Amino acid sequence: MREYYTPTLKNRAQPGDAWIESIRQQFPTETTLDEVLTKKLRNRSKTAEHKTDFSDLETRLFAYLKKATGQDDIVMENLHRLSGGASKEQFTFDLTWNQESGARSSEKLILRMDPTESIVETHRLRESQMLDAMWGEVPVPKVHWVDPAGENLGHPFLIAGFLEGTVQPEGGDKASGLGMFFEPRLRADLKEQFVQHLAKIHTIDWRNKGLTSYDSPRENHLEANEWSLGWWERVWHEDAVEAHPIIENAALWLRENMQTVEKPVIVHGDYRSGNFMYTDDHQINAILDWELSHIGDFHEDLSYTTCQILGTPMDDGSVLTSGLLSKNEFLDKYQQCSGNTVDPKRLFYFDVFSYYKVAVISVATSSRAAYGRKTHLDAMMNLLSGFGYTGTSALQRLLDQGG
Amino acid sequence: MSPEIEQFLSGMKKTIEEVVMPNLTDRFAQEQAGIVAASLGFLGLIQDKAFHYELLENQEYKRILTDVCELLNNTFSAPESIVETTSKVTEHFVTDKVDDPTHLRPYKFIRGSNEVMKELLCEFIQQQPEMSAELRAAFEALMKPFFKSIELRERSWVKALGFDPEAEQQADIADLLYKDGFLNTDKP
Repeated sequence: MREYYTPTLKNRAQPGDAWIESIRQQFPTETTLDEVLTKKLRNRSKTAEHKTDFSDLETRLFAYLKKATGQDDIVMENLHRLSGGASKEQFTFDLTWNQESGARSSEKLILRMDPTESIVETHRLRESQMLDAMWGEVPVPKVHWVDPAGENLGHPFLIAGFLEGTVQPEGGDKASGLGMFFEPRLRADLKEQFVQHLAKIHTIDWRNKGLTSYDSPRENHLEANEWSLGWWERVWHEDAVEAHPIIENAALWLRENMQTVEKPVIVHGDYRSGNFMYTDDHQINAILDWELSHIGDFHEDLSYTTCQILGTPMDDGSVLTSGLLSKNEFLDKYQQCSGNTVDPKRLFYFDVFSYYKVAVISVATSSRAAYGRKTHLDAMMNLLSGFGYTGTSALQRLLDQGG
Repeated sequence: MSPEIEQFLSGMKKTIEEVVMPNLTDRFAQEQAGIVAASLGFLGLIQDKAFHYELLENQEYKRILTDVCELLNNTFSAPESIVETTSKVTEHFVTDKVDDPTHLRPYKFIRGSNEVMKELLCEFIQQQPEMSAELRAAFEALMKPFFKSIELRERSWVKALGFDPEAEQQADIADLLYKDGFLNTDKP
């Protein structure tokens, strides 16, 4: 195992209470994000490497489901681990039980569970509340149960309905859906829906959606952007396995060029190919992975979704946003659908922010999780640092151009 | 020393790809085995360059920190916190002297020294708002080519992982590290 090299690296590997408190003070974030990030640090030196053996999962899950449904005659079958994804451990299973209507029926469900440390440390209560808020607005899986404390299975989790559909088209498989290729017919059928759903998300009145685990930023205020940047700055300083001058410089630029958010909206936070699913007749039937959602500036989603590193390079040298349409077409359609006007200055700010976030996740947290052997995907976490350094390079070129 | 590391790695990669993977039935296990094989292939390409990568960074960080300290020492307006950081640089250069034959040091010593220097440079970067406009402009001018060289080096280092959409235009790490058969320590 690697040596600590400096006191800062030792603090990150073995965080003490005083150091954790100083990090919390230095980088203010939303209350529930502070909760999970602090828990991650407190557990870091207490927990061993992540256990990839899930032989006792079936017994524990069955016991939990009996308790959650209040029914002793439930039937649980076909528990399988899912491949794909880069964050949570995911399993499917069939459950037969008496639903609220009284009818006894079977349903295929998905269990989405945190590893010991993840490439993104997020809150299952936030994710389940956001999925509930989106129910009936845009296509999402229905959440049945959530355990944000992780008391029942050893790790926090949520259980939702499993939707049949395609995430990665045949031959379009890439790590976590990045740079996915859709053939032209599929592209034509999906692109309008892809934009419309994002526009819908941004126009929902989030204040009436029971999002109690989300802090509400003020309008015409810096607060939303301060929390967004504070989140990723904090994660960088908690997880980085080496200091990085470009990342440090980018954080400073983001602090010095921050603007107010006129009207905060629901931001998905990871809206791209790999995070939506479609049916055989080419209808998007699920928007997935809401764990990075928060209330903020709609430009944040637009920049992230259109950032080149997440796009699909084409033979003619162009890059398609999520493999579906050009950046300009995406932005034009978005403005038509949402009624929001894109501000180029804010878009550039969030272009920098998006690459900063990609770098924090893929350079710092993925390496940190693999360093401590804290996930079920340690090999992939090391490999993803390659994605992070490609992002850091793009970040530097962007700062060079506009800084 | 035999077998060479590259031989170990290519043997493991072949075994994973041709023996283990075809006999795995679980999709998650197949996916993870594929990632292990890809990682072994990447390690085969870069393993003999890791020491020189760190050695080059050692030279570059010593040079940039020397330049920054010189700039600050010639400035009357440097605030106290920045002066403190320059003192830390001086202190570190006692442990890893600028003119030392660092190439004779163990890998871990170089790696550790580089990390200290990276943290010190990041301190200077954080302190930019405390600098006068003139000092900050001079500091930024020093940093600009340095940032560029980090960017190019890191991108070349991970080129073979396949995430870079413009990888073909990017130099291989060996072409970037060496010039005329020696480590390329030219100033960026």
